[in-house]
Amino acid sequence: MKFSEIWEAIVIALDSIKANKLRSFLASLGVVIGISFVIIMGWALAGLDKVLLDTINMIGSDMLYVDKWDWSGGQNWKLLQARKPITLEQANEFIKRVKTAEVAIPIAKRHRTLIKYENLNFEGISVQGSLSEYGLTPAGAILDGRFFSPSEDMYSANVVVFAYNAYYSVFPDGDGIGKTVKINGHKFYVIGVVKKQGTALLDFVDNQVFVPLSSFLGCFGKYRRSLSIGVKAGSPEMLDEVRTETIGIMRGIRGLEPWEELDFSVNETKTFEKSTDMFRLYVWGIGIGMTVLSFIVGIIGITNIMFVSVAERTKEIGIRKAIGAPKRSILFQFIIESAILCLIGSAFSFIGCSVLIYAVATFLPKAFPSISFLSPYIPLKLLYIASFVSIIVGILAGLIPAIRASNLDPVDSLRYE
Amino acid sequence: MAATNQNDFLIQFENISKVYQMGLELVHALRDITLSIRKNEYVSIMGPSGSGKSTLMNIIGCLDTPSTGKYFFKQYDVSDMSDNELADIRNKEIGFVFQTFNLLPRATALKNVELPLVYSGVNSSKRKEIAQQLLEGVGLGDRITHKPNELSGGQRQRVAVARALANNPSIILADEPTGNLDSKTGKEIMILFNKLWEKGNTIILVTHEEEIAHYSHRIIRLRDGLVESDEKNGNPIVPKISELEEIE
Ligand SMILES: Nc1ncnc2c1ncn2[C@@H]1O[C@H](COP(=O)(O)OP(=O)(O)OP(=O)(O)O)[C@@H](O)[C@H]1O
Ligand SMILES: [Mg+2]
Repeated sequence: MKFSEIWEAIVIALDSIKANKLRSFLASLGVVIGISFVIIMGWALAGLDKVLLDTINMIGSDMLYVDKWDWSGGQNWKLLQARKPITLEQANEFIKRVKTAEVAIPIAKRHRTLIKYENLNFEGISVQGSLSEYGLTPAGAILDGRFFSPSEDMYSANVVVFAYNAYYSVFPDGDGIGKTVKINGHKFYVIGVVKKQGTALLDFVDNQVFVPLSSFLGCFGKYRRSLSIGVKAGSPEMLDEVRTETIGIMRGIRGLEPWEELDFSVNETKTFEKSTDMFRLYVWGIGIGMTVLSFIVGIIGITNIMFVSVAERTKEIGIRKAIGAPKRSILFQFIIESAILCLIGSAFSFIGCSVLIYAVATFLPKAFPSISFLSPYIPLKLLYIASFVSIIVGILAGLIPAIRASNLDPVDSLRYE
Repeated sequence: MAATNQNDFLIQFENISKVYQMGLELVHALRDITLSIRKNEYVSIMGPSGSGKSTLMNIIGCLDTPSTGKYFFKQYDVSDMSDNELADIRNKEIGFVFQTFNLLPRATALKNVELPLVYSGVNSSKRKEIAQQLLEGVGLGDRITHKPNELSGGQRQRVAVARALANNPSIILADEPTGNLDSKTGKEIMILFNKLWEKGNTIILVTHEEEIAHYSHRIIRLRDGLVESDEKNGNPIVPKISELEEIE
């Protein structure tokens, strides 16, 4: 194919679309909608990826959590409920024995605990009891003030470090450090604030407070309390080794025989990837269905309009053939027209989706803060995908009309009025 | 006339027939035609309506293929050629001029003349240059940006002639080129053809009008798909020099 032929085909296509703006627009509507689905789906999934990454970074991809509960949610809740609690003694025993891990910390949690400041009550905040080492993990990174110290651990000091959201709901002016709050009736001295962790998957992490484990147990008691153990492997490469050792030690501590099933779970960030995989599947399932449907409608619309275009230009085809246009050139001319039609359609959906997505990501999180992870911009990668898909759709839609055009008999076409 | 050698033949028809099927009926548009045309001949084809003139022209121009018989174009057997090769011959060797002009309505005169060059792969700036020269050659140097509907019939036909010349073809095929023109503008076109013939082009035209046919040097008459007569015109009309210059 000669360059002049290709360029000519593009010029003719643009001319023809320009001459039939409304018709072209209506014909490409299905493609516009299909491409919009692709873009919105891709954007939502990109948001999800970001949340996932944030979550993993916050927890640390080298962290394991030994717990009575399983994070994956796939297990029978009643079976988990029936598991024996992991006691403080078991946790301490584990921490003493473990060798491969960089550090291991016992963690106790109490959800929805009453916190009083002056005469105001706050009920939705969780309390976490742990050791000073927790302040060294990403989840305990300090924004202001300090984390509690090993000696405060040891002497059950009544000091508390707030997570970001909890801090600002109790102290809207951000002036909490140095103040005293009452947790479950006990006085605690506020010494620090942790950075915002904020991921949509684990939004509760910003809504808790941290106290020394010993103080926690003093306040809430340790009877029937199940702890979890945070185990930091040091690096993702160490995970397998640390996991194996962890399971081995815990089996021993829990007195399990080799043939017995585990009565505890070892959770890690991979679990989140699994749970988002399900979500991803839903998005694709629904999205792909709608997308395919609109592309089918789109292809029918474009094919139809291309047949009209071929019929209208029968005479022109005859003239071009008479002066030496080869079949392939006519074929290409109509395929290009159809592809450009779809490409323009995808440009429109891109502009439309950009505006929509910008608006949604800017204004909706004001009402629903949990979706603030949504980016107001379309990932650039989607621009390429959308263009590519639209060109393919255009080629498919234009193929049959173009073949018909290229096979027209020149003498008959010239006679056509 | 001097003895000619075989290779002078541009067009050779050997027992060419064209049959159309109309329902159950067969229409014999051409019956067993054998004829040859040499380089730089100036031929007109006459005959009543339906006698097969256009069919003959279309076959000569490789727009159509015969039902039976052999057609040699420059010694090449056209019946062996692929669609692409035929398109290439139409593009480079043949210039068509039609009764109804057949210009692209939305394109300017310049663009119309450029079109054959698009398909022969000439680059854009060279195309414009050639087309401009050709339009000047037919006296339309000041009309290059006009679209067909902004031109008179005679001017449109001159654009069509310029287009036919774009790739410097061996033959100009004109099917009733003056059919839609008044006698004065028709004459202008005939003056153009005469000039082309003088420059060495081969010209074949179909016409109803005896006067137009008398510009040519050979007149072939068809009737019912057969050659009724094929005679030399010993006394062709030669436009006067002053008329020739009128167009420049
Ligand atoms: N596509 C076709 N299908 C059927 N019959 C055809 C077709 N094209 C031409 N014919 C028939 O072939 C015969 C010759 O037609 P052609 O167009 O060559 O005549 P013509 O001499 O050019 O006539 P005119 O002077 O009216 O242009 C006519 O009888 C016509 O009806
Ligand atoms: Mg005719």
